[in-house]
Amino acid sequence: MSAPATAAPTTPPHGSAPPEPRRRRRTTYGWSARGFSVPAVLVVAVLLYLPFLWTTWISFTEYNGLGSPSWVGLDNYRAMFDDPNFATSLRNTLLWVVGSITVPVGLGLLIAVLSHGMRFGGWLRLPFLIPYAISGVAVGVVWRFVLQNGGGLSQALDALGLPGADLRWLSDAPLNTLVMIGASSWQQSGVNALLFVIGLQSIPREPIEAARLDGASGWRMFRHMHWPMLRPLTTVVVGLSLVASLKTFDIVWIMTKGGPGRNAETLAVTMYEETFVNSAYGAGSAVAVFLSVVTFLAAITYLRRQLSPERVV
Amino acid sequence: MRLRHTGVAALAASTLVLAACGGDDDDAEGASGPGLINFYTDKGAWEPQFLEVSDVSETSLGLGLEFTGYSDAEQYSAFVRQSFRTDEKPDLFTWHTGSELEDLVAEDLLAPTSDIWRTAIDNGDVPEAMQEHFTVDGETYCVPMNAAYWVMYYNKQVFDQYGIAEPTSWAELITAADTLVANGVTPFYETNILFSFVWFQTLLAGTDPELYNKLSTGEAKYTDAGVVEVMEQWRGMLEAGYFGDPGDQTAPQDQLKAGTVAMINFGTFLSGQLNSVDMVSGTDYDFFVIPNVNPDLDQTSLIFETGPMCTAKGAENETSALQYAEWWMTDEAQTAWANARGDVSFNPKALVQDRLLADLNTQSGSGDYQLLERYFEATPTPVLTAALDGFSAFVTNPGDPLPILETIEAEAAAYWAEQG
Repeated sequence: MSAPATAAPTTPPHGSAPPEPRRRRRTTYGWSARGFSVPAVLVVAVLLYLPFLWTTWISFTEYNGLGSPSWVGLDNYRAMFDDPNFATSLRNTLLWVVGSITVPVGLGLLIAVLSHGMRFGGWLRLPFLIPYAISGVAVGVVWRFVLQNGGGLSQALDALGLPGADLRWLSDAPLNTLVMIGASSWQQSGVNALLFVIGLQSIPREPIEAARLDGASGWRMFRHMHWPMLRPLTTVVVGLSLVASLKTFDIVWIMTKGGPGRNAETLAVTMYEETFVNSAYGAGSAVAVFLSVVTFLAAITYLRRQLSPERVV
Repeated sequence: MRLRHTGVAALAASTLVLAACGGDDDDAEGASGPGLINFYTDKGAWEPQFLEVSDVSETSLGLGLEFTGYSDAEQYSAFVRQSFRTDEKPDLFTWHTGSELEDLVAEDLLAPTSDIWRTAIDNGDVPEAMQEHFTVDGETYCVPMNAAYWVMYYNKQVFDQYGIAEPTSWAELITAADTLVANGVTPFYETNILFSFVWFQTLLAGTDPELYNKLSTGEAKYTDAGVVEVMEQWRGMLEAGYFGDPGDQTAPQDQLKAGTVAMINFGTFLSGQLNSVDMVSGTDYDFFVIPNVNPDLDQTSLIFETGPMCTAKGAENETSALQYAEWWMTDEAQTAWANARGDVSFNPKALVQDRLLADLNTQSGSGDYQLLERYFEATPTPVLTAALDGFSAFVTNPGDPLPILETIEAEAAAYWAEQG
């Protein structure tokens, strides 16, 4: 390294052009900053970028986890789109997206609005929040006991003489996907309610008071005042639900293992099934890349649309 | 200059932090001390039994097992595959015969065991016929970790209650099932998870064992008339109410104990599971060899399974591991193993304490039985995956079997075409 480039800056002479020493100081400080950022950059590169690049590369190969991958071009992608199981998986994932955005977000909003401002509202929300403290796997185990053929739900319906006791909740598609969305909503609604309550509490009092003086109340107040002012938070909640639903895995795997006959698989389960059950790492990676691209595009499209200046109130 | 030094210091600090995060290489060398070899298996629940045998081997051979068990077969498979890309290859590990074994051999990852087998066969420690399942391109790899036969377990109390004797023909078996159905008892256990292939295996092997074998070698098609006929027979049995709820995730031993089902078509390792729920062999439960569907066959088809215990080529303790594998085939090891597990042994000299299992061990070598490899091991992985999915859907919603067989056949055709 040459001496002029690394020389420590001295006090700039009065009247001389300031840019040079300022630039030099910024450059030197930059090296120091880069040095401190190296661990973080390395961690991100090694744990995130490299695996993604490796997965992308593997998706263009045939590989069983042993020996060396052999290049097959787009064959894994062609096979994936030709596979009827992939179509089922895609359909189920779409059901999860629609279900996860409507049910837990809608329920969360409803709970938040009904309990907001109410005396002992926190106690009302508490039971909904408790399931969030349970892991996704535990939720799956509990609901599997309830929903399995002849399980708790069927026995309860039978005892009460209600229809549905003979339904095979976890065996028949798309019923199994729908009830799993229900189980997932049971866990997610409470935290969504909590987020919406935070949003409601952060709304300034003045415009609400002004609207009230103008005679707004009930549905009109919510529709024209609360709802628009909740938009930033709704964007976050829906965005998180969108991404989470696209990568749904744990609850499906625990409750049904994606079956029977792979009829409850989501894209994430298909990815796992191909990679670790069939040891077809190339095919599994192709699903992983497809899922990543879809998730990325969905999230970006949604956030751009929601956060564009003309939509922000 | 000061800032430059700060930058260098930051880089140095970063390096130190990363080095610290990297851990100590010495800790990763493996926990094996002298006389211990690393042993990995996906049968994590069998740890007490493996350690029981390890106690015997420590005394007898001076070698013990450093046990690492996995309870998830997929994670285990991924772990073993990954380990071959590192210097931490497993000394001893359990695996599968068939295409899974061929995959490892194709990459030259296993230590050959042909000499060990020769000695064991000469000593009468293992039937020679078993060797072919461990042989790839003329070389033998691994040793049998266990052996099990697939038989029909039944709840003795239920059989006694309805005056049912052990069936000796298929017709008698169906009559027994009809009697049970008439009395509101479900005759047979069924599941749509993993073991959905069992009744396909039983019906096909008991109808046409030659077709069963040809299916596993690609010489027959899943759409052949014989296979379709078997599926139609299975469908008839499903529709007649012979089977329990395939979606019931209650463990089979609990279903038999509770009398939810009267019979379970299962591997002899179920004995250990039944004992674990306090059912007594010969008193609470018994089993019989499933009679052939086709009475004209000379021998009774008897499904057997065996899982290999392998040594990685170039493993840290390869020599000791091969020594252990050799000992594992002896009657001393197999007596300890079979009694610890409550199962049969591949070694005819092993002294199995359970009378029922001991009798079966003797019978199986009598010549009255044709031993057929379990469908799970006999079928190449991609075909097996499609078949398990298809059978799982079929037992859940019985219907026209042809679309399922066509799907499996498409996988099979692609697989065998690739094999040339």
